[in-house]
Amino acid sequence: MDLIRVADTIDAQLVYGPAGWERINIETAFASDLMSDVLMSDREEMLLVTSLSTEQSIRSAGIVGVEAVVIANNKTVTEGMVDLAREQGIALFCTRFPKYETCVRLGRILEA
Amino acid sequence: MNGGPKEPLQSSLRVQELIYGLRIGEVMTSKVFAVSRNCTMRDVQTIMKKNSITGLPVVDHKRVVGIVSMNDLMNALEKGGMDDGVAKWMAGEVKTLAEDMPLSFAISAFNKFPYRRFPVVNKKNELVGIITFRNINLALIRELSRQLRAMEHQQENPPEPHSLVLGKVYQIHRYDFENGGKASSEIKQFLKMRGIPAKIVRRVAVASYELEINLVAHSIGGMLAFDINEERVKISAHDRGPGIPDVEQAMAEGFSTASEWIRAQGFGAGMGLPNVKRVADEFAIKSAVGMGTMVQAVIKLQPENTHED
Repeated sequence: MDLIRVADTIDAQLVYGPAGWERINIETAFASDLMSDVLMSDREEMLLVTSLSTEQSIRSAGIVGVEAVVIANNKTVTEGMVDLAREQGIALFCTRFPKYETCVRLGRILEA
Repeated sequence: MNGGPKEPLQSSLRVQELIYGLRIGEVMTSKVFAVSRNCTMRDVQTIMKKNSITGLPVVDHKRVVGIVSMNDLMNALEKGGMDDGVAKWMAGEVKTLAEDMPLSFAISAFNKFPYRRFPVVNKKNELVGIITFRNINLALIRELSRQLRAMEHQQENPPEPHSLVLGKVYQIHRYDFENGGKASSEIKQFLKMRGIPAKIVRRVAVASYELEINLVAHSIGGMLAFDINEERVKISAHDRGPGIPDVEQAMAEGFSTASEWIRAQGFGAGMGLPNVKRVADEFAIKSAVGMGTMVQAVIKLQPENTHED
């Protein structure tokens, strides 16, 4: 599914998007604030939902090849995070929804 | 980092890493003189004099039970105890090192303890050698000249710009979460640019990142080294301490000694080392309290390699 459709569903605000981000294919989502868990996953074409708004979240996402990161609960995104997202070609969003609600909405369209 | 300490030269880091990676058994003196408990201090004196050595392990059925130094010999001489058995004058509490430990552990041991030599034992706890600072210096000189030759060779035959061969060492500082992960991102980029399949790149990146975060979160500082050739990536993490008291426990999923602060960074779930092992084709860990930890992970680059994910 195109990232732009996924983003619309969760009312996500784009903080940084690499060229052509709208068409990035998202097959699955992963929600966690525990980077150790993110590093254990072996899915692909993945969107990461987290409320851990730190640079390490973006780094961990980059390490496992996550395509897009959504920071839940409208947490503040730092400049360092944006720089890292740019460096690694990851789309970075913010959403006003809490993590659970974000997941419920994602589940509805990704499972469909 | 602005205003921070200047990063040391890559070549000096590499030599340090190579040295650290040697096993104590490769560097020690294997021809070792030792005495049994029923020898006298006079026997000790004769052996020391004949072989110009300054310390002698005392063994009982190949097990080290003490060590006699020049100092003990002088004390015995002064107090007229030259015909006493060695057991009376030796130091009975001996710190030994294992032959399969990395050399970095010996360096830590020399820094931590006041001794000038350590008996080296094998897995059966039998004396197999002795290590002094002289052994370490000789190994250092040997590695330095080897490295120098390699550099000369490289100057004569510069690697092709897209060659897959790379040796790089990163210094990792304690609690430096700001930079934690930089080295791994760089290596990931290197492999990606050279067309390595994404699945393999990911395994290398995960192993490297977990080890890098471990160095930042749990060690007092250390180094992360990459040795990449056409066939495999070898990642080694060396640190100077504190060392893991129970490696088996540390390898168990969910076991963690991480502080609240580390957990707040999203780490410390106790999955790091097991995760490195999961993605690696070969995995080795060695640790000793007060001396450090060494972890090595090898990932093969051949796509036909059948690793179960």
